Amino acid sequence: MTEAIVRPGRKPLKRRPLGTHRPTRGGTLLTVFVWICVVYFVVPLVWLVIASTKDNTGLFTTFGLWFGQGFHLFDNLADVFSKDGGVFSQWMVNTVLYAVTSAVGATVLATACGFALAKYRFRGSSVVFWLVIGSIMVPMTALAIPTYLLFSSMNLTDTPWAIILPSLVSPFGVYLMRVYAADSVDDSLLEAARIDGSGELRTFATIGVRLLVPGMVTVLLFQLVATWNNYFLPLIMLNTPSLYPVTVGLAGWQAAASSGGGAQVLFSTVLTGSLVSIVPLIVAFLFLQRYWQSGLAAGSVKG
Amino acid sequence: MTSASPARRARLGSAQTRAAWILVIPFVAVFAAMFLVPLGYSAYLSTFTSQLVGGQVFSGLANYQRALGDPSFWAGLSRVAIFLVVQVPIMLVASLFFALALDSGRMCGGKVVRLLIFLPYAVPSVVATLMWGYLYGENFGLITQIFTGLGLPAPELLAPGAILGSTMNIVCWEFIGYNMIIMYAALRTIPTELYEAAAIDGAGEFRVAWSIKIPAIRQAIILTVIFSIIGSFQLFNEPNLLFNIAPNAIGSDFTPNLYAYNLAFKNQDVNYAAAIAFLLGMVIVVLSVIVQGIVNRKEKTS
Amino acid sequence: MSQADIDKAMDTPTTITFWAWAPDMQKEVDLFEAKYPKINVELVNTSSGTQQYPKLRAALKAGKGAPDVAQVEYQYIPSFRQTGSLADLTPYGAAEAKDDFVDWIWNQVADDKGVWAVPQDSGPLGNLYRSDIFAQAGVSAPETWADYAAVAATIKEKTGSYIADLPGNDPGQMVGFFWQAGAKPFGYDGDKTVKIDLDSPATQKVVSFWQDLVKKDLVATDADFNDEWYQGLAQGKYASWQVAAWGPIFLQGTAKNTSGKWTAAKIPQWEAGQDVSGNWGGSTTAVMESSPNKIAAYEFAKFINTDSEAALTLANEQFLFPTTKATLSDPKFVDQASEFYGGQKVNEFFAGVSDTVDKNFQWLPFMDFVYSSYNETLGKAISEKGDMTGGLAAWDAAVTDYAKQQGFTVE
Repeated sequence: MTEAIVRPGRKPLKRRPLGTHRPTRGGTLLTVFVWICVVYFVVPLVWLVIASTKDNTGLFTTFGLWFGQGFHLFDNLADVFSKDGGVFSQWMVNTVLYAVTSAVGATVLATACGFALAKYRFRGSSVVFWLVIGSIMVPMTALAIPTYLLFSSMNLTDTPWAIILPSLVSPFGVYLMRVYAADSVDDSLLEAARIDGSGELRTFATIGVRLLVPGMVTVLLFQLVATWNNYFLPLIMLNTPSLYPVTVGLAGWQAAASSGGGAQVLFSTVLTGSLVSIVPLIVAFLFLQRYWQSGLAAGSVKG
Repeated sequence: MTSASPARRARLGSAQTRAAWILVIPFVAVFAAMFLVPLGYSAYLSTFTSQLVGGQVFSGLANYQRALGDPSFWAGLSRVAIFLVVQVPIMLVASLFFALALDSGRMCGGKVVRLLIFLPYAVPSVVATLMWGYLYGENFGLITQIFTGLGLPAPELLAPGAILGSTMNIVCWEFIGYNMIIMYAALRTIPTELYEAAAIDGAGEFRVAWSIKIPAIRQAIILTVIFSIIGSFQLFNEPNLLFNIAPNAIGSDFTPNLYAYNLAFKNQDVNYAAAIAFLLGMVIVVLSVIVQGIVNRKEKTS
Repeated sequence: MSQADIDKAMDTPTTITFWAWAPDMQKEVDLFEAKYPKINVELVNTSSGTQQYPKLRAALKAGKGAPDVAQVEYQYIPSFRQTGSLADLTPYGAAEAKDDFVDWIWNQVADDKGVWAVPQDSGPLGNLYRSDIFAQAGVSAPETWADYAAVAATIKEKTGSYIADLPGNDPGQMVGFFWQAGAKPFGYDGDKTVKIDLDSPATQKVVSFWQDLVKKDLVATDADFNDEWYQGLAQGKYASWQVAAWGPIFLQGTAKNTSGKWTAAKIPQWEAGQDVSGNWGGSTTAVMESSPNKIAAYEFAKFINTDSEAALTLANEQFLFPTTKATLSDPKFVDQASEFYGGQKVNEFFAGVSDTVDKNFQWLPFMDFVYSSYNETLGKAISEKGDMTGGLAAWDAAVTDYAKQQGFTVE
């Protein structure tokens, strides 16, 4: 936000490795207390797993944190994947497609822009930077409605582009990459490349990108999560169920129970679908945990 | 090739400027198309008034005037203001506490704790709200089951008086871990020589946290504060989905964003919705600038 | 439009898009496509009306992306008419279908200016009650609302159940009660003039009646159609439900355990000896003015709702209560004994109720707003167990303000 954040900090020298656990009385107390807190974060997810094994009746007549009569997980999964002609798998595919396309595109744009803002002084650079910073603050409804109207006049509503194009803009990504580039790409390297007669863009593509990878992964993950969680934009942009991401689809199933004129009740289906929908992201988190760290460490926190 | 002639340096400068623009243009182009154009269009729309009978006429700032006198707009704004004053501090203090606890290295199973607290961030807000909605259920929800099991009166978490708190809880659950990771990542970059000095002075863990660690990650904390402010004012998904289970507790104007959405899509008043969204944007910008101002003044004096 | 034009259109390869949220509409689409192999119908399931209408309006406004045919509930026909979105079906021969449909239903889709949709299903109001709970309390189905209040007290005392739930989020049910009480809260001339009379002696009578029961804690005020409410029904928290013929669809999914314990009775009357009902819900199939294939679109709308096989499928397999006289008297429909109602011939019963619905009931051209403002006025008063007559007045005021602000002449 301020120039202060953007000041490159010192490189970490040496840190105590994590996990050197010195047992003390305070440490034991802390451990117990924090683990009690962890229950709060985990219980809803445990509940969701258990709820996915119940049918509609069992969902409400049995205790939430214990299994009900019968094990209906596979029936529920069958329902999830067969309802409405198996549209759920299509939703999952769409979600992955939108999220990955947007995240990769946004990362490429943000990396190029952030690098240039960090490493080149050119007229207009500060205007670009402050526009980006200011844009983080604009409420989405201010944009969503006019974007909808503009897209519909260009025949873009109800197409994947309606979701992907707006998600290519990641102002926070630009900000993060600018900080990261300032921090991790040394000017002397660029200067050396120039003296060797390498073109500016080639230098960026060879030296810059290699040094920027951890930051790029962070932006990628941010945007991946943001698009995966996106609900408002697809809600207004898409009409065709086969184009929905899983969030809009599930919310629609949930709402179907309360519509007049003939509808159905799908609570166990919706809950099991919810469980299925969060598994991929949780797996991705488990695998990519390390990267968040280094990228964020450099990006958010120079003082 | 030891030094470049002045002429060559100037050429280099122009080459650099060209390269810079080539790198910046793709983002700026998409940014302009997806952000500036809709924003301009929104501003343009907000200066018209449309009626079901009679269509659209230019009305200048009439929509803004109407918004400033609209109790629904102020009610929504005051709700998110309460959200800001209550939920954001609770969430960030909790995040900071967990980050410091992890960083202290005095915990068993720190890695697992870190992951488990962070996990809710991977849950889309749609799913999170749906889940909590079931847990809150007044007759058959888990929380009610537990209270009844203990022989206590069950709290009515979906009643109009409680729904704001219930929403706060969902947002806390989703984002404590995310903010914790940002702060924790910042803590990991503090050079150890800062501690070694403190350890020689015999300072305890709390002392070190208070006088060394927290000041050292001030920037990360400011970042989370600003993002949380923006997030609270843009609250939409959670109330929009809670509306299905607590329709009378969450009105159409529960938050300004929800109000703008309902105005545009239910009342079919896109123009007024645009004005509301614009005003909300201004409020957020002003607040962020104020926070920045406070921070900057502190930096100058310290 | 001569028959030759229609035949030619039906023999030309055409694709039409159909938006609907009623489940399994593919069955009717398949029947139609079997009869007219040249016409391809793209069915888009829109999940629910609340999700479909904003999208439909936005698409119509944008002039792109709207379907040819869409499921539209009766109360929203005027609002789509007001924006000029519905095709008048008279040129396509729709007026001839008048005698196929029940009178009051026809009045919902047609007036002296045109025919705006083809009726699909309806929701004549009855009273579904749990025979086991009523038996336990030693009461029978109430004939009048005064009886209803007395029965409510007995049931509460003897079984602990509420006689019913009065949701604060379902204006459709409340308006159905108004309809049954003979109120005429809305009127629209199809152009710029509306009539708003939400706060009238008839509506006040209805609201104060319920206010009294709420105050005495004899009816619950839980929001309806959410998981909690379904469970309330499943576990006997509510002993009855004043609902339309489509009610059982919702019960069969989540309250399966109560199957066989339900009985359908007439909705209680305001005067002893009366026999009138109202309507709650039901939909039409409407053709959009923007459709380039109006002939095929109308033929499709007509076919799925009046072809004997398609109409019977809607009624018997999708439980959408029929609107054609032919289906309402078809033995294949009326003679069905329903397991859910312990063997009662419930279709026959509701077919009888359908004849008692007040024939003239109109809507405003902005029911979205009317219904969403209910949630914040009368509905809020109900859910908070507060001043409901005040809520009714506030609702009337909010709707009147909105109408004026939108440029309508309010009578």
